[in-house]
Amino acid sequence: MNRDLPRTNEKAETDSKKNDFFHSLTSQIGSVGKIEIARDSVSEPVIRSWCDAMSESNPLYINQNFAEDSKYKGIIAPPAMLQVWTMSGLHLGNQFQRNSEDSPSAEVYQLLDDAGFTGVVATNAAYHYDEMIKPGDLISGSQKLLDVSVEKTTAIGVGHFVTTETTYSNSHGKQVGSMEFRVLKFRPGTGRKNQQKSSRPKPASNNSTDWFWDACNNKELRIQSCDECGNLQHPPAVRCLLCGSVSLDSVAATGKGNLHSWAIAHYPQVPAFNYPLIVGLVELEEGIRLVSNITDIDPEELEIDMPLEVHWLDVNNEFTLHQFRPKENERQKLESRNDKIDKDRDQSSVSDTNESEAQNVEKQVSKLDPAKVQIGDELPISPVEITTLLIVSTALATRDYQDVHHDPKAAQSKGMPDIFMNILTSTGIVSRWINDWAGPAIEWSSIDLKLGTPNHPDDTMTLSGSVTEKTENGDQISLNISFLGKNDRGVHVSGNAEVLLLKNSKQKE
Amino acid sequence: MNSNFSSETAIVGIGATEFSKDSGRTPMELAVEACEAALKDAGVTALDVDGIVTFSSEQNFEIEVARNLRIPSLSHFSMIPHGGGAACGTIGQAASAIFSGSANYVLCYRAFNERSWHRFGSGVQDKHGGAEAFDVTFGWTSPFGLLTPASWVAMFATRYMHLSGATSEDFGRVAVTDRKFAATNPAAFFYERPITLEEHQESRWIVEPLHLLDCCQESDGGQAILVTSLERARDLSNPPAVIASAAQGSTDDQQAMRSYYRDDIARIPEMKLCADQLWKNTGLGPADIQVANIYDHFTPLFLPQLEEFGFCEKGEAKEFLRDGNIDMDGSLPTNTNGGQLGEAYIHGMNGIAEAVRQIRGTSVNQVKNVENALVTAGTSVPTSALILSQDN
Repeated sequence: MNRDLPRTNEKAETDSKKNDFFHSLTSQIGSVGKIEIARDSVSEPVIRSWCDAMSESNPLYINQNFAEDSKYKGIIAPPAMLQVWTMSGLHLGNQFQRNSEDSPSAEVYQLLDDAGFTGVVATNAAYHYDEMIKPGDLISGSQKLLDVSVEKTTAIGVGHFVTTETTYSNSHGKQVGSMEFRVLKFRPGTGRKNQQKSSRPKPASNNSTDWFWDACNNKELRIQSCDECGNLQHPPAVRCLLCGSVSLDSVAATGKGNLHSWAIAHYPQVPAFNYPLIVGLVELEEGIRLVSNITDIDPEELEIDMPLEVHWLDVNNEFTLHQFRPKENERQKLESRNDKIDKDRDQSSVSDTNESEAQNVEKQVSKLDPAKVQIGDELPISPVEITTLLIVSTALATRDYQDVHHDPKAAQSKGMPDIFMNILTSTGIVSRWINDWAGPAIEWSSIDLKLGTPNHPDDTMTLSGSVTEKTENGDQISLNISFLGKNDRGVHVSGNAEVLLLKNSKQKE
Repeated sequence: MNSNFSSETAIVGIGATEFSKDSGRTPMELAVEACEAALKDAGVTALDVDGIVTFSSEQNFEIEVARNLRIPSLSHFSMIPHGGGAACGTIGQAASAIFSGSANYVLCYRAFNERSWHRFGSGVQDKHGGAEAFDVTFGWTSPFGLLTPASWVAMFATRYMHLSGATSEDFGRVAVTDRKFAATNPAAFFYERPITLEEHQESRWIVEPLHLLDCCQESDGGQAILVTSLERARDLSNPPAVIASAAQGSTDDQQAMRSYYRDDIARIPEMKLCADQLWKNTGLGPADIQVANIYDHFTPLFLPQLEEFGFCEKGEAKEFLRDGNIDMDGSLPTNTNGGQLGEAYIHGMNGIAEAVRQIRGTSVNQVKNVENALVTAGTSVPTSALILSQDN
C-alpha cells in the first residue's frame, strides 16, 4: 500500500468497498426463491416429539380420541410448528443439495459469511396462521427476501439484519400460514462483553470460616461448637462466645428449623438472583440462626415459625449454598392448597409427566372459562429452567441442526458464550404456555416475537403476560395477549399473540 | 461512659449546603462550603479551629478539609466507624476532646454526592469479597441476596411487625409526618410535597415489608457543626445549644446492620444503652423532651427507638404514632426538618442541626418552649444519641 496516501483517501476507499458490499447484499431484495417442498408430509410422530420437547400437552395435538371429537375431527399440528415442516433437516455427508440452499437469504448469508459476519441469531419472527395443518399435509414454502439492513452495532455484535417472508401452503395449494423472519448476521467478538451469566457473590471466607463453606460444598450444614462448654454459635468466631475457650470444633446440624423472620427483595435487582427474592432468617433446631433463601414457596404463604428444612444450591459448580424450604409435609399442604385456590398456576408441566394422559386431558379441559376473561387478566407467571437438554432436544424437535444450538465450541467460535435456544423453541414454549392457560379450545391467529438476550444453559426464563385486547363476536372471543420472557440478563422474548376462544366450549364438555 | 462533659460544651455553629440529587460539585467542595457556613454562623474563623471529628465512610478526610479551610493545625482528629450510627457520636467525641483540653473548637461534618456519584442505596453487591473479618461477615448474607441497607432492615421489620402487631401503615405514619414537616421547610428536598398514607401504601416494594416511601432519600449535600466549650460559647452571638449529654452504644453480639443472632431482634439494645446513659448523665427523662429527631433511614426502626427511649412501652410505638404524638401538636413533635425521608439523608447530621435550631428558636417548624431536644443516630449498627438543652 502507498503509505503516503492521506488517511482520508484510505477511509474513502474503505467506504467505497463497504458500499459495493452493501450493494451486492441488497441486490436480491424483493426476489423470491424456489418453492421448497417439505421432504416428508406432516406426521404424528414428529408432532409428538415436538410436543415432548416443548412440554406441550394440548390434547388436540397428541390425543387421538379427544381430537376426533373436536371440530378438526382429528389431530392437528401445533401452529407453532409452521416453520418446522420445510426445515432442511440434518445434512451430513454426500447428500443432494437441498432447495433451501438456493433461497435468496442463503445467498445473502453466504456473502455475509464470506465477509466475516459468521455469527447468526434470530431476532424477530411474526407468524400468521390461516389454516390448521394436519397429519398427511405436505407443506411447501416460498421465501421472499424483504430487506437487508446497513451495518448495525448491536449488543451481540456488529452486523446486518436480514428479513425474509415465507408463505406456506398445503398440498391443495391453500395457504396455511406465513412467517416474517429476521436474523442478525454478526461479526463474532464485536459485541459487548458480560454475556456470561453473573453468579451469586461467593461467600467471603478465611481460615476461620472455610470449614463452614467446605461442609456446604459437601451438602452438610455444620455449626461451630465449643469443645469445653458445648456452646453452639453462629456466625463462627475465634473464641467461644460463652466461655472464651479457644478449643472450637463443629457439629453437624439436622438441617431442620423454623422461620424467624424474612425480607422479600424486589429492588435493586442484581443479575445473579431471581426476584422477588425471599431471604429468611432461619432458627435451627440447635438454637442458632442463619440467613438463607427460602424456596419452594410463594411470598404470601410465609409464616413466622413455619417449619423448614435445608436443601442445597450448586452455584456454577464453584460453591454450594444452603437453602431452606417448607418441610416436606408442609410443602404438600401448600401445594394442595395452591391447586385449590389457583388451578391456573403453572406448576410446570414437567411435574405432570407421571399423570396419565386422561388426567392430563381432564386437567386441560377444566381450565379457563373464556367468558370470564377480562382485559388486564394476567397469565400465570411461569419459570422455565433452561438446560442443555432442553436447548438441544428442542432444536432437534424443530429440525434445526445449526451447531450453535448443540455444540458449545461452535457457539463460542461464533461469538456466543455457550449454546443458545433457537427461535422456533422460544415460539414453541410461549405457545405452549398460552395453551396451558387457555386450554384446548384455543384457536391461534398469529404470534409476533422479538428476541433479545439469548437463553443459555443454567438460565431461568420467567414468562409473564396479560390480556391486552378483547373483542367478542357471538361465541367467539378474540384476545390479544402480550407476553414477556425474562432471564437473569434481560428480556429474552417479548411480543403479542392473537388467539380466539369459544365461549361455550366449556359447557360442551 | 463518663458524664463529666455534661453541659460543659455547646454547639455554636451549623452550616449546610443545599440538599439535592445532583450537587454539580465535588464532595470536597460540599464539605468545605458546609464548614465555612458553620464557622460563619458561629462568628469564628478557621484559625480558631483545632479539632475535626467525622465518621465513616466520610471520604473528605480531615487533612484535606483542614488544608482547604486553611486550618493551621489540628490537635484532635478522629473518625468514628459505622456510618450514620456515629452522627451524634461525633458531637460526643468533640465535646470530650474540648472538655479534656485537647482542642478548643471542633468541626464535625458529613458531605457527599450519594445520589449523583455513588448511589448509597445500591448496597454491597460488588464489595466485601476479602478475607478480613469485616468482609467475612458479609459472607453470611450477600450470597443469599441480602445486599442493601433496605434488605438488612427489612429482616428486623418483619419480626418487629410479628411481635408488636405494627403494620405497614404504622411505618407509613412516620413517612407522612416527615413529609408534612418537609413540606413547610424550604431547605428540604421535598419542600411543598407532602404525601398521604394512601400514597405510601401504593408506593412500590423495595424490600418487603418496606415500600419505596419507607426508605430515606439518597442525597447530595453537606452539613457541618461546630462545637466548643460552653464558656467560649457564651461569648459568641448565637444562643448556645448546650450539649447536655451525648452517648454511643454497641452491645451484645453486635453486627453491622445485621445483628440477627441476638435473642430479640425486634429491639435495639444499643439504642437502649444510649438512652440509659443520656437519662443518667442528665437526670432527665422522656417527659422532659419537647422535640426529637429520631433516626429515620428506614421507617420501621423508628418505632422501637421510641420504645427504647421510654416514650412508650415495648410494642406500643404503633399506638403512640396512631395517637398523633409525633405531629406538631403531639406530645413529641419529631423530625421537624422533615427528617431524612423529607429533608435529606445526610446520615443524621442534618437532624442535629435541626435540634440546634429548635433550641435557638429558629426552626421553620418551631416547637414552643423547647428546653431539651433529643437526637438519635443510626439503628441496627452501633448507635449514638444526644440531648441539647437551653443555657439556663
